[in-house]
Order: sequence, then structure tokens, then C-alpha cells
Amino acid sequence: MDSKLFPEGVQRCSFGKFLIWSCFILAFFLWGLYAAVLVLYNGIGTTGLDNYFGFGLWITFDLAVIALGAGAFFTGFLKYILKIKQLEKIINLTVIVGFICYSGAMLVLTLDIGQPGRAWFGYWHPNVHSMLTEVIFCITCYCTVLIIEYVPLILEQKQLNKVPFIHALAHNMHVNMALFAGLGTFLSTFHQGSLGGMYGVLIGRPYAFREGFFIWPWTFFLFVISAVGSGPVFTVLVCTFMEKLTGKKLVEYKVKALMGKIAGTMLTVYVFLKILDTWAWATGYLPSVGLTFDDMFYGVAYGKWMMFTEIVLCGVLPAIMLIVPSIRNKPALLYTAALLDCIGVTINRYVFTVQTIAFPAMPFDKWYVYYPNWVEWASSVMIVAYGFLVLSLSYRYLPVFPQERHLNYK
Amino acid sequence: MHMKEFKIKWGMVIDIDKCTGCGACMVACQVENNIAPMTKKDPYNYVQALTKDRDDADNKLRTLTWMNVYELSNGKSFPEHEVAYLPRPCMQCGNPACVPVCPVVATDKNEEGGIVSQIYPRCIGCRYCMAACPYHARYFNWWDPLWPEGMDKQLSPAVSPRPRGVVEKCNFCHTRYAKAKDQARENGEDPMNLAEGAYVPACAEICPSGAITFGDLNNPEHKVHELAKSPHAFRLLEKLGLHPQVYYMSKREWVRKQGDNYNAGDKH
Amino acid sequence: MGFDRRTFIQLSVGGTVGILFTPVLWKALDDVSIWTQNWPWIPRLKYGALEDQPAVSKLCDSGCAVKVRKVAGSAFGTEGNEDSPLSKGGICPICANAVQVMRNPNRVKGPMKKVGEAFEPITWEDAKSMVADKLAAAKGKVAFISGDQTGTANEVFSGFLAGIGSEDYLQMPCDMQAASRAYNGVMGGTGQVAYDLENSDFVLLAGADAMESWGPTVANQKAFAATHPTGEKPTAIYMLASPVQTRTASVVDAWIPVPEEGMATFLLGVAYHLIRAGKYAGAADFGSFRSMIMDAYAPGKVEAAIGVKGADTAALAKQLLAASDPIVVPGGTSVATATAAFAVNMLLGSLRKVSEFPKVIQSAMSTSERMSKDLLTWVNKGAAPAVAMVYEANPAYSLPDDFKAGFVVSFATEWDETAAKADLVLPNAFTFERFDDMQNPYGIGKQTYSVGVPVCRPTLDVMASTDFILDVAASMGINLGFDSFAEVIAAKAEAVGADFDEASGGQYEGSYSSARASVLGASVLSRAAAPVRGNGAVVLAPYSQLIVGSQNVATTPNAPCVISTNVLKGGTLVAMMCSATAKKIGVSDESKIKLSGGNGEAAALVKINEGVLPGAVAVPLGLGHTVGDEFSKGVGDNVYKILTVRSEAATGATVWTGSTVNVAKM
Repeated sequence: MDSKLFPEGVQRCSFGKFLIWSCFILAFFLWGLYAAVLVLYNGIGTTGLDNYFGFGLWITFDLAVIALGAGAFFTGFLKYILKIKQLEKIINLTVIVGFICYSGAMLVLTLDIGQPGRAWFGYWHPNVHSMLTEVIFCITCYCTVLIIEYVPLILEQKQLNKVPFIHALAHNMHVNMALFAGLGTFLSTFHQGSLGGMYGVLIGRPYAFREGFFIWPWTFFLFVISAVGSGPVFTVLVCTFMEKLTGKKLVEYKVKALMGKIAGTMLTVYVFLKILDTWAWATGYLPSVGLTFDDMFYGVAYGKWMMFTEIVLCGVLPAIMLIVPSIRNKPALLYTAALLDCIGVTINRYVFTVQTIAFPAMPFDKWYVYYPNWVEWASSVMIVAYGFLVLSLSYRYLPVFPQERHLNYK
Repeated sequence: MHMKEFKIKWGMVIDIDKCTGCGACMVACQVENNIAPMTKKDPYNYVQALTKDRDDADNKLRTLTWMNVYELSNGKSFPEHEVAYLPRPCMQCGNPACVPVCPVVATDKNEEGGIVSQIYPRCIGCRYCMAACPYHARYFNWWDPLWPEGMDKQLSPAVSPRPRGVVEKCNFCHTRYAKAKDQARENGEDPMNLAEGAYVPACAEICPSGAITFGDLNNPEHKVHELAKSPHAFRLLEKLGLHPQVYYMSKREWVRKQGDNYNAGDKH
Repeated sequence: MGFDRRTFIQLSVGGTVGILFTPVLWKALDDVSIWTQNWPWIPRLKYGALEDQPAVSKLCDSGCAVKVRKVAGSAFGTEGNEDSPLSKGGICPICANAVQVMRNPNRVKGPMKKVGEAFEPITWEDAKSMVADKLAAAKGKVAFISGDQTGTANEVFSGFLAGIGSEDYLQMPCDMQAASRAYNGVMGGTGQVAYDLENSDFVLLAGADAMESWGPTVANQKAFAATHPTGEKPTAIYMLASPVQTRTASVVDAWIPVPEEGMATFLLGVAYHLIRAGKYAGAADFGSFRSMIMDAYAPGKVEAAIGVKGADTAALAKQLLAASDPIVVPGGTSVATATAAFAVNMLLGSLRKVSEFPKVIQSAMSTSERMSKDLLTWVNKGAAPAVAMVYEANPAYSLPDDFKAGFVVSFATEWDETAAKADLVLPNAFTFERFDDMQNPYGIGKQTYSVGVPVCRPTLDVMASTDFILDVAASMGINLGFDSFAEVIAAKAEAVGADFDEASGGQYEGSYSSARASVLGASVLSRAAAPVRGNGAVVLAPYSQLIVGSQNVATTPNAPCVISTNVLKGGTLVAMMCSATAKKIGVSDESKIKLSGGNGEAAALVKINEGVLPGAVAVPLGLGHTVGDEFSKGVGDNVYKILTVRSEAATGATVWTGSTVNVAKM
């Protein structure tokens, strides 16, 4: 019944089927919405956060999706600035994924701050020394950029595009896209870096703190590079997932492998620097404040296994898998590597967020273990569900994949 | 690290060998600073009534204890075991970890006296400062401040109750400082050179065992000036370089050793 | 319509600028920043003139001399009274929260009588005639239970009781009572034993948790502080002998682990060395005391009985002998322990006393007379008075055994277990709303008198119980010589010689004198000093912390977040024991256990604390209220109910030292 709205020359499932799928996703969304309402109405006391764990699942979720959403700016950079033409086959998807990640992160942040009504104070009373100020600036600005990048795609919807005004608007936005891609790259590099700096500057938190050079530029670049080392393959994973779900080929494998190669290169650089960083921290900084590497870990929740999983299993291994062409060119192995890569960067964001503050700096204090409660999980699930909805709608009605017609109905 | 220098530096020297851990300071702090008793029910919020109760004091990680007394143990077995109590107000660090991280300048260290301020109407509740403070001196206001019926008939005029969703902390009873300066001006004295005892926070004032000595660390006429230099004096986590304005002292070596980390030997 | 780049830029920039130039955005933002700090449910401050008014706060057992802090005439807090020898600027954690207790919705709002299972309001006039009728009908079978140790109010009540022909004036069990019965009873002295901590250079606290719950805690802490000046050499040595490393133990110079039931033995073990060193006391029974000590308290025997090594008692005795002004301070309700401590003090020549202040109501009991009667012995003998009146006490909660009476009148200020059980609840005015005084709080080193006047106007329909009783006495034709308690207080202050005025109260500081006892109590000690223990698996070592509350006052509103997780965790009381004990009974950290003994059981969480004597389990008193506000009701279990009451040999005192419990894992 809605077939007139589909992109040119493609087929979509029946409206009924789509409705059932949407309702299924909507159920998760509503569950999360209920949690979000509780948070806004009753306060953050409804969560599992406390005075020892002011940051928890939400901030981890934010940092992870921001890292994974980095595919958008980096692919945009490569396509529009470095003019790697091949990437235009997946650029729309990276923009949508980026938009979902960033807008989702902003929604979570609105829940996360105790006074959402004062969120704009970051602009009104900015502390230019705070990494978080930089993050607030760049994330909000970049989210706007992503909206600007996403809007023309919506305007290109078959029926909408028939309106001359909309057509002209979309065209004009397209013409200026390189400008926004550049702007996006600039903003993204900044806030990805600042997010790393956010932890690197925590002088009172030996798990995260780095001195001098190891804060700037080191922690900044670790975060930037780890983001660009995982964002592109996250887009690949999303794309592949959509292919499995729809049973269609959406992007040719060559492009995916290229994305894997780009991410793999970055990941290799990252893992090398990360190992150096960890070594310098463990042997240089920690002893200088009377601590040992072992002091930084506790039990299973904060055990060393996490660090090894992050750096070796989900760092070194996928890096090798992605840069070796023969491995990368096997779809199953590419996807495995991509998955490991994404898990690695998520663990990294988790330990920097939670383990950093779990370590009891005062010797007479003790480790506490943080468990997110259902409210935090549900509201995070809400964002995932929101992502699914946006993707589903975009896929159904917008010309996201330029190759789809060619690959499936030639 | 660049540190702002102040002519006046309010500080404490807390003699752990005198603190009995009775908790009078913690009670006095709550009364002075209008920290509401922790009550489970919120009579103004019907949604709350339908869902989970608010936290009561069983949840020690959700309290608002600007002044918090920690128990220290020497870790030995009976009968060599020893115990000590360590009251922990805000350290008012010389190089605070919390101030530079605040995105909205809701906390600052720029007033003569060196007290780290917290501007509650400005705070957005992001809790980055809490993540930054290794002393856990910062507290988040998880629930609205509600007193049992009638108990809020007269609150302390020192400071307004803070709404939920902001970060709070000890400010050395800053209103008392302002009042002491006003008093000095009224008496024709120099408000920048207050006599010992003219300005004392509630915790130091009430302490029955005199464990807390308060004064201007820079003023040679104040006791803390000398006490801070005692060979038995130490600061918490000095190696991290936060330069707290709160000093502790103990003749017991094991107590002093718990003021910092020594697991990697003593090199710095 | 042409739509080129220029139009596009004009549209986007123009739109943005346009929005920024309307007041909508700015007004909205401004409003938001105002709303977010002024929600209607957040109380606003009221400002006005500030003032401090001296008062007495009789919430804690010994009472605190405070100043009530007011703004615009309305109280909001308390602070120490620098001018009072009891306070010197400090306050205990209970009295630090006194104003919040005064405003607690748990206050009894007016006189109530029980009808069926519920309470109904009644007027004060009706209450008076009802009480008068009940008392007249009781024909002298009337008891009065008082938890007030220091007040002249006791004179009003005991004088009245004498007027209606009863002698059953009963004090709640307290350390003061044990000391009084030891000194005035066993040893034949007169007056109240005094401990001049301020001027002593060696203080042995024998079970007295002086800096947390024993005696005038604030004055004790101040004395400790004065002898331990920050940053300087201490001028006195403090030692604590106790089964648990209490808070006092955290600051004293040495902690000697001694079981509570073995405290008398321990002290006599110290006396052994003192006598061996040639110490002598001018008492009639010194000879028999000496031979008893030499026979039964030689180091080997003491070690066998209580596990304290001879070398330790010898070293301690040496320090006592070397000190110029040593003092031994007994704690607990055991008369034997108090007697033993006083005997040691006599050997050291340091037993001191303060004289009682003169009575103003002639038919009233003196302090030592008040202290002579043992409440639990009276209860367990099956006393069943027709009327029992309870003042400043909560016996239904804090007596290990229940008391029975035909008609119970409770003068509670707040709803508590006793009030809930009572037939008539006649709310006493709060300590800041009435005249009250403190005469020689037990433990003080010199004669001390503090008077407090009402500094807060009552907001509830309450009445000072003293005035109530004076009115009832008048209606029954009993002449106590005064029409109001204000007059009693004025007369008392004059008799004491205090500088008193009706607006700000007053105080008096006297001195101590050397105590003279006729005997050392050898005949009593020879039968009473040996440790007696129950048959359960572990010995209970109950301890008190003011932050948890007292016998009479439940946990105050701001206290719960101060209470340590070593005392109460997740609403369950914590039983502390050393690892040896835990191993022996097969439990570990965080084990849930049930302690059963006395008249009940208590659920507890195990916490390993190496500062507890092996074989003992340290448990906090003051939790587990069944009536009260949300800060105390249903929080933890009541340890008083698992204590085993026994009568001490020879002294007849009710004690619960050596109570044992059985432990079951839950």
C-alpha cells in the first residue's frame, strides 16, 4: 500500500510485515521510554548509579556509540576530502549510522545529567579548560552537521523530491556537502580526542591519568584513532546485518573490504600506540604515585582479563585479520574481525569509564562493583530500538544504497 | 602544574589520634547545611509512590555526607589489631582535580581563602567532578531534599536546600566565613586577617574531642600553620599532587602509611 | 520559484538570526534556569535575627549543655556551650540533632488515653483527674520509673510518691546506679564518686567506654583532648580494658582486651600487684581484702579466669604506681566491678567524690536513695503495682525483662514502645520547652550544676511532667511546697548557689573532696568478683554508640547515614567477632546468623573485626525499635532482648555481663 513511497526500482516487504517488525521494535522502545520517563520524573536515583559510580552504563554507552559512529565522519572525510570514489556506495549508510549514534548519545546524555533543563549551560557558562565543554560543543555541533547531512537524503525520497522547492534544497545541500564533511571531520577529531582527554586529565584517578605528553596529544589520538579504527567496520557490520535481514545485497563486498582495510590500518596504529601507552603507564607513572600494575585490578569485575581481551583478543588479533588481504577478503573472517574490533573499543570505553572510578585511590577505601540496573539498560535499549526504527524507515523509503538496484535486479 | 596562590589558605589539621569517630561532626554538618534526613517516601511525587522507594541511609553510596568518617584498621589479627577514625571533609585542594573538569564553571577556586566553591544553581549534574575526585568528597543529590513533616519548619539560614540533580560538597561552611568577615568589618578589624577562632566550620566547632584544628595555613598566628609542618602531619594521597588544604596527623606510623599508596616503594 | 545558493543561505541564516532575535528563546531559557532551582516542594529559607540561647539538652544519658541556635526566634540547631564545664563547646551526636528531634513528627501531640487498642485525645484537666483517681484507688501500690539521672524533677516525683505512700521509686539500670550502690552501699561512703579526668595523669577505663557512651562523654572527651594537645606531648596516659575495641579504644594509648564479666577479677588482679608493692588503704577490712587478693587473685589465677597475662597486669600496676594522679574508672551495671575499681582507687589514694546538692523538696529521695533500688530485681520478684508512671525512660524497650502494672502512665515526648503500651500518654514538654537541670552528671570530676530554662515555645499540646505532677499533688492534697517546677528550679539554684536567671538559666561549679569509705568490700568481692558466664556458644559483648541512640532516645533523624556498616548493614544489625571466633562457630564475613538468648533472638550479619576478644560477639545496643519513626522503627534487632539477666552474687545487683547466646546460620 505504501509502494509509491519506495525508492526507485526496488522491492520492499509488505506493509503488514513491516508493521509487525516495527511494532516488535517499538515494544523495546516503549519499555525504554518508560524507564526514561522515570528517570526524568523521579530523578537519577532510579538508576544503579551512586556516589562512587557517577558514570556508568550510560556514559560507556555514549562513548561506545560515539566511537562506533565515527564511520560517518571518517568515511565522509575520505570520500569528500580525499575523494575516494568507491566509498560513495556506503556513505549514506555511514551518515545514517552516525546520525543514530550521535543523536542517541545526546538523548542518553539528557537523561544522564541531573538537571536536563540546564543542559545549555555548557554554552552559556563554558569552562574552556574542561574537556567536557569541548565535548559538549563538538557533539552538539557535529550532531547538527549529521542532521544536515541526513536531511538531503530524506529530501531525495521519491515523492518528496517531486516538489521543486525540496528538490532545489536537496540539490543545494548536496553541493555544499564537502563543506559539511570537512566541518564534521574537524569537529569529530576534536571531540573524539577530548573524550580521551576527559579521562587522561583525571589527576586523581591513577587508572586513567597520563602525564604531560601522554595526555596531549597521546590520549587524544588514542581515542581518535581507536574510533576511526572501529567506526568503519561497525558500518560494515550494520550493512551486513541489513543484508541478512532483507536477503538482498546492498553494498558490494569490495567496498566492505576496503572499509575493513581502512579500519584495520588505523587499528594497527592504535594498538601499537595503546601498548606503548599501557607500558609507559604501568612502569613509569604508576610507580611514581606508589602504585603497581596489579593494584589497578580487582576480582573478576575489574580483572586483568578485561585488559588482555581488549588489547590482544580484540585489538592485536582483529588488526592482523584486517590488514592481511587474504583474511580480510573472506567475508566470515572480515565480519569476525570487525566484531572483535567493535567489542575491543567498547571494552576500552567501559574500563576508562568504570574501572577508572572503581579503583579506590585512598588505601583505606575499598573496591565496589557497579551493576547497572534495569532503568539504565532499558533506556540504552531504547536508543538501540530507536536506531533500528530510523534504519528501517530509511531503508524502506529512502534511496540509501545506490548499488541496491544494480546488485539485485540487474 | 600551575597553582593559584592565595594570601589566605583556610585549612584543617585533623588529629586522628584524637578522633573517636563519634559522628557529631557529621550530624552538625547536616544541620548546618540543610541536608535532609534520608526518607523513603516522597509525598509530592505520585509516580514515585507507584514505583521504587527512595533510598534510605542503608545505601551508604547514596548519602550526602559532606563530612564522612572512615574507619581505618591496621589489618593485624587479635590482639595486635588497632583501629582509627579519619574524618574526611572536602580537601579544598590547591590543585583541585574537580575544578578544571567542570564544563560549566559550577565549581571554582578563585576566592581568597582557597575554598573550592560549588555553585548549585549552575551545576548541571554531569558528575564529571565526582569522577575526578579521588577523595569521594563530592556527592550527588539523588533525591529531592524532603524533611519529615514539620522538621523543615525552620532550616539553617546558612544555605538553601539544593534541588535533586546537582553535585554538592563541603565548603568549610562558607557562610560562616562571610559572616566572620562582616563581623570583622563591623568591629573595624581587617577581614583579611581574622583572628584564630573567628571563623570555624560547624564540624570543627562541635567536635567534642578537639580533633579538628581549623585556621589559616598561611597565618603564623594560627595553630594550623605550625601543626601542618609537624613530622606527624601528612595529607591524603599527596603523591597525586592535588595539594589538599586538609592535613592529618597521627603518631601511629600505620595510620600515616594509609594516607598514601606505598605499594611500589617510595620513589617519586 | 528560483532557489539558488543565495536563497538557501539567506533562508538558513535569516531563520537562525530571526529566532535569536525573538524573546521566545531567551525568555524560555531564563525561566528554565529559575525553575530548576525553585521547585515548589523544596523548602525556602526564612531569614531573621540570629541568636544563641543556653539550654540543657537532656536527650543523652548524662545530658549536654548546649546553646540553641535560632533564626527569627525559631530554633534550627544546637551548638556547644563554651562556658559550661560539661560542654566546653562540644556536643554529643544525639544532642547535635536535638532540634530535629524536637520537630520530629513522631512527637506525641497531646495527652492521649487508650481506648481498646487505640489512643484517643483527652484534655489535660481530664488526665489530671484520671491520674488522681487511679492513684487514690491504688492505695500506695504505685511505682515510678525514672530514666532521668540528674534532674531535680526526681525530687518532685519521689516526694510525690512518698506523699501517696509508696517507696517504689525506681531508676533505670545505669552505671551511676552501680557506682552508687558500690560506694554508698557496699563500701559505706557518702556522696557520689567523682573522676577527675582533667587532672589525672593516668586513666584506666575499666569497661567504661568514656569517649563514646559512658558518663558525660563530651566532658570526658574534652578532658582527653586537654591532656592530649594536638601536636604536643600528651600529659596523661589513657588505657581501656574492654572486650571490644570501641571508639574509645581508637584513641587511647593502649587497649587491654578483658571480658566484661571478668572486669572485677582483672581489677583485683591489678590490686594484687599494688598490694605487693606495699600499697595500703585505711579501711576496716584491709586485712581480709589483702588476704583475699593474695589467695585468689595471684597472676596465674587471674590469667586462668579471664585470660589476661600476669605480666600485663604487673606492667599496668607499675604504670599506676608511677603516675602521680592515677584513676580507675569502672563501667557497666556490675556493683562488684565498681567496688573493685574503687578499692583500687583507694589503694592508689585517688578515690574522690562530689557531695550531693541539698534537696529542696524535703520528702524527696536523695540521689543515693534513688539509686539504691534495683528495678529488675523488683520486676523479677513479681511486682505488680496498680499504677506505674514512666518518665524519660523506655523500659518496654530497654529492659531485658518485661514489667507489669495495672495502669501505665507514660510521660514520653515521642512515641516509643512504653508509650504504645501505656494506658495514658501525657507528653512531657521537650527538653528545650521546659525548665530542667543537671546535678552532678555521673562521671564528672567536680560538683557541677546546670539549669536550663524553656527556650522554645511548645508547638504541641504538651506539658512539663513535673508541673503535671505538682498539679495532681495539689489536687490530692499533697503539699510538696511548690506550685510550679519553675519555683522548684529557682529554689534549687539558690540552694546550690548557682547564678541563675529566668531568661538564660545558670550554672555552678564546685569541687571534689577526698572520698572516705569504711570498707573495701572484701566480703562482697570474695563472692561477687569471679566471672560468671552463661552456657551459650559465645559471650555477648554489647556496646553503645550515641549515634545509634541511647536507652531512652532512638536513632535521631540525621544519624542513620552516620551509622557505620560495622554496626548496621542493609537494615540488619552487625555482629562483630574476630576470625578465631568466626572459625570456631563456622561463620565468615557477611554470614547471616541468628543469635538466641535471654528472652529472644536477633538476626545479624557477621563482620570480622580483629578488635573483639576471642569467644565474644560484639553487638550494638539501641537498634530494633518496634515503635517510632522511620529512622529507628524496624531497623535491626533489639539486643536488650537477648541479654540474660542474673542477680550478682552478694550484691544482688541485676547484671547481664557474661550473657551468652547460641548462634545459628540463617
